[in-house]
Amino acid sequence: MTNDTHIVKSYGEELQFLNDSIIQMGSLTESLLTDSMNAITILDKDAVDRIVQSDKKINEYRAKIDTQIMTILVKRAPMAIDLRVAISALRISQDLERIGDLAKGSAKKIVPLPEDLSQTLLDSLKRLGNTVKNQLNKTLDAYIKKSKEGAIEVIKLDENVNELTYLSIKEILNFLSKDNKNLEFATNLLFVAKNLERAGDHIRRISENIYYLVEGDYYKK
Amino acid sequence: MDLTMDNKIKIKSNNLNVFYGQKQALFDINLEINQNEVTALIGPSGCGKSTFIRCINRMNDVIDICRMEGQIQIDDKNIYDPGVDVVQLREKVGMVFQKPNPFPKSIYENVSYGPKIHGIGESKDDLDQIVENSLKRAALWNEVKDRLEEPGTSLSGGQQQRLCIARAISVNPEIILMDEPCSALDPIATAKIEELIDELKKTFTIVIVTHSMAQAVRVSQKTGFFHMGKIIEVGTTEQIFKNPTNNMTQDYITGRFG
Repeated sequence: MTNDTHIVKSYGEELQFLNDSIIQMGSLTESLLTDSMNAITILDKDAVDRIVQSDKKINEYRAKIDTQIMTILVKRAPMAIDLRVAISALRISQDLERIGDLAKGSAKKIVPLPEDLSQTLLDSLKRLGNTVKNQLNKTLDAYIKKSKEGAIEVIKLDENVNELTYLSIKEILNFLSKDNKNLEFATNLLFVAKNLERAGDHIRRISENIYYLVEGDYYKK
Repeated sequence: MDLTMDNKIKIKSNNLNVFYGQKQALFDINLEINQNEVTALIGPSGCGKSTFIRCINRMNDVIDICRMEGQIQIDDKNIYDPGVDVVQLREKVGMVFQKPNPFPKSIYENVSYGPKIHGIGESKDDLDQIVENSLKRAALWNEVKDRLEEPGTSLSGGQQQRLCIARAISVNPEIILMDEPCSALDPIATAKIEELIDELKKTFTIVIVTHSMAQAVRVSQKTGFFHMGKIIEVGTTEQIFKNPTNNMTQDYITGRFG
């Protein structure tokens, strides 16, 4: 294993600080995703305020991380593992920010749930949301541990998200076909399902970047 | 980055061991250097990289206590074979040092000296032509063409180093060894030398010892990492600096050494 200590201590501290920022940004994104699902499925009104605040903070993190990376590149001209830490942090922060945007976008669709909304539909959406949350949790865990195996597991599980999205969409279309008055609500739910699937894609990309960070090469199926 | 690793091998060291008296400086060095490429040698001070390049033009011969075992082949011929003429070898293998070291003579004489002693330029016209061409190839001609009679030492540090490069290439070598050629130069002079190295590799095979990782990345196609007289890792420069396979290489290039 490579030596953990840089001769220039402040360089090591800068990389550690960057690492910590990504983890903090990731946790914030995770709670935003939870709030967003609660806002939609259990009409948690307070969640909406939290979402707006979290999204603002996530955007601030992104800007802060950009600055940290630029400083490291200019000051240290990082090589090998250090270069990959910087480059992967740049990419991961972009994906986290997009997940935040998507979750916020979904929560904006919050409206009272129609009475005839089937439990199956609600369950399938919840299942999709939980799977995506679980994936994000696993990918952050892989980032903290710098675990190649953890990253591969998330990449492989992305197929589940796609399948659950397909099932949710089928339920939503079924609900829509019952009554034309459901059109607006069903369209909103379609956006929610699609946003969750896209969040899943960003999570997979984060895991691919964790793999790149650890291995120095791109993940190939 | 230009990766032409399938180039012809110009220099090859086979189980090279070098001793200074009782102290062994190089241990079983096996290294292949490709033609028309720049190979960078990196590693901490005292790791043996300068000792290694000095073996390529037999500069270590002049050190009494220096003894070597193994082979260095240039174009598949061992340069340590008894029949090898060292003067001819050094015509083939030029060298540029850390500190610019022009002769205390005019700019013109600095460049014409080599061709004269090697009997390359027959007439004054020939020599004029060699001096002009060499200075042009060293990207110095435009700056000195009107003051060729001035002493070489009157030039700036960067110009002096380019003069030394012109002097090295004036005898049409095949290989140029550079031992930290930019360490005494400012960033602009360094950039000019690096640009020159890029141009020169089309004609010559270049081996450069450098302490600047960034320079190794910028100028070379292949990099070798030396540590305590051993070669730890050799690979394309891209691989060495993005994803080295050896932890010691990674620790050195990322500043974690020791």
